[in-house]
Amino acid sequence: MRKLLVATAVAALALTACSSSPSASSGSGSDAAGGAPGAQALQDAQGVTTVTFWHGMTGQNAAVLNSLVDAFNQAHQGKIEVKPVFQGTYDDVIAKYKASVQQKSTPSLVQVYDIGTRFMIDSRQTVSAQAFADKDGYSLDDLEPGIRNYYTVGGKLVSMPFNSSMPLLYLNADAFKAAGLDPAKPPQTLAEIGEAAKKLTVKDAGGQTTQYGFGAAIYGWFVEELLAESGTLYCDQGNGRDAKAGKVVYDSAKGAAAVQWWADLVKGGYAVNTGRTTADAQAAFKAGRAAMNLESTGVLGGYTQAAKFTVATAPYPKIDATDPGGPAIGGASLWVDGPGHSAAEQRAAWEFEKFLGEPAQQAAWHTGTGYFPVNRKALDDPKDKAWLAKYPQFQTAIDELHAAKPSPANAGCLLGVMPQARKGVETAIEQTISGSKSAQQALADAAREIQPAVDSYNSSVG
Amino acid sequence: MPRPPSSSPPAEKVLAWVYLLPSLAVFALFLGYPLYRTFYLSAHGNDLFGAPTRFVGLDHYTALFGSAEFYRTLLTTALFVLLTVVPGVLGALVLVLLLEGRLRGVRVLRSAFALPFAFSVASAAVVFGVFYNPATGVLNGLLSHLRLGPAAWLTDPHHALVSVALATVWLNLGYNVLVLSAGVGSIGSEITEAARLDGAGGWRLARSITVPLLGPHLFFLVVVSTINALQSFGQINILTRGGPDHATSTLVYDVYDKAFANGSSDFGAASARAVVLLVVVLACTAVQFGVLERKVHYA
Repeated sequence: MRKLLVATAVAALALTACSSSPSASSGSGSDAAGGAPGAQALQDAQGVTTVTFWHGMTGQNAAVLNSLVDAFNQAHQGKIEVKPVFQGTYDDVIAKYKASVQQKSTPSLVQVYDIGTRFMIDSRQTVSAQAFADKDGYSLDDLEPGIRNYYTVGGKLVSMPFNSSMPLLYLNADAFKAAGLDPAKPPQTLAEIGEAAKKLTVKDAGGQTTQYGFGAAIYGWFVEELLAESGTLYCDQGNGRDAKAGKVVYDSAKGAAAVQWWADLVKGGYAVNTGRTTADAQAAFKAGRAAMNLESTGVLGGYTQAAKFTVATAPYPKIDATDPGGPAIGGASLWVDGPGHSAAEQRAAWEFEKFLGEPAQQAAWHTGTGYFPVNRKALDDPKDKAWLAKYPQFQTAIDELHAAKPSPANAGCLLGVMPQARKGVETAIEQTISGSKSAQQALADAAREIQPAVDSYNSSVG
Repeated sequence: MPRPPSSSPPAEKVLAWVYLLPSLAVFALFLGYPLYRTFYLSAHGNDLFGAPTRFVGLDHYTALFGSAEFYRTLLTTALFVLLTVVPGVLGALVLVLLLEGRLRGVRVLRSAFALPFAFSVASAAVVFGVFYNPATGVLNGLLSHLRLGPAAWLTDPHHALVSVALATVWLNLGYNVLVLSAGVGSIGSEITEAARLDGAGGWRLARSITVPLLGPHLFFLVVVSTINALQSFGQINILTRGGPDHATSTLVYDVYDKAFANGSSDFGAASARAVVLLVVVLACTAVQFGVLERKVHYA
């Protein structure tokens, strides 16, 4: 029986290898074990199969996650036990995961942020979600296409999306009305935000600014999203989707326009620069010090609770009016580890992944945390509908994602050193704001400085 | 100093080593091995997971000394040491001298100034982060009341290092005040009494008696503060993460940046920096002992 299984798996692999495009070989070599174990593996297992699950969720997100874990463990009592382990920030999770690979003690399941996707593929430690789905004939069609697009590499879903978010433009509707602007007709481009920011900037009698028109954290993700909206690539090879990306290309005219726009708003006194800490920019918006803010869907609940004004949302802006639009998603996905884990354990991890992706759980997750549901049927759940009635601002995000036409630009860039590339953009924004360089120069320098890291990464994964 | 007898019986020597063994074992395990490992890693290239894969000799060092960024980091580190050690030690000295005055409630003040010692770096940095917040921070609130406009405490590359240093000085002040207060307490009252009888008061007493007799304590603080400053990490990581535009990227932060930050695991390059840091700390301490200690008067 076992031999037969292996033979089928090998045959299946050979078939996919033949049928896929040439690019797939460079993009999808993620399956370490050469296939996924079937449902039989878990049925044959003796006793309780333990799934260690590393994640980076804190606060309310962790509470909701743990309740979902409890529900799963209840339903699989005596068969599967998922043990969630908090490992710190997403960066910490990756750092610890790397150490665990060295020590051959990886967790059964790990939550990794979007920009760690290329690294996880190259680690060759994981079994793709596609392999499990194919094995079971499990349909992945209920996944939100825009989200599935991000985690699909070489035509295969490499990991199971779990917590997804999208960027939005947040507005202080009261400030808009006070400035004679209509929050129902929000600015759509960077230029329009700039115009509105000038009108929204309020000074007191002594010339001190009491309200800035705009404020956002210096967070590279916001630039990534602006480029995605404008249909511009972040790294070469079709954002690393056609083949392994060899360099970043964010020093384009669009990239420079976005960064220069940001710096000019700060220098003109229309935007407050709160630095890289996202919490500081959020505090500025909540306190009414910045009338417009770029942030993820995840902060909506916090904003509406803390703000003493009406919070409105608008689609994430385009760089130019003629841009195609459509953001990339952010957040994290779940990866099942292969090497060093029994077939039953891998299988149990997949069962848990599937469970988390089902409409009921995604509705609970969405309404409990504000993350975007990865399963589109979750939006039909009565609980979800009630939540949406309470937070109508979230509809903007749904419309935004559903209107987006999947493209390489809004699939997002796959790059092994993506976190460092993001940091390079953040430094470029800082340099442009401080005036030490033009946006074009700062981005070009950042691209040049990241190149050795890209080369060294690519050469180390072959 | 009496020299130990050079010819102790062999049994005694063995016994001495036996007694030393536990602490030697701890040293070897927690200092010796990591040190060896740092040198080892600094001469090796890494795979994706940070595991050493190939011997590269001095490649990491040549790359390091060939990059302009590294010299900027060294300069930032030196500035940070100056900006924290000098005000930290001098500030504590001034406070302690002022507290020498026979004022009411001076004990309360002394405890108050020593209080920062009780704060952890992390909690102090978080509190300073709240103070420094450009939009909602206390400091900018005060400035705008004074019609001085908001300052970019941590978001302007020209101010950030000073702001981080300010938080560090506050943090170190407590310990420095404690050490110097103890020093002042240990100055024999007969010396100060005699000086007072000779007509010395206030400034003269401080300049000619108190400060010279505090020499050993001041020297100790300078050495320890320098080492502390060279190894400061928490406040930089929490307040600025080395930014903006690398303005607060010191040697220690650079080690972290290469080894762990942003998904990086370049342990080779990070270890090379750690070795440089070790050399810098050793050099600073050696110079301080060589130059400053000569001027210290041990009573």
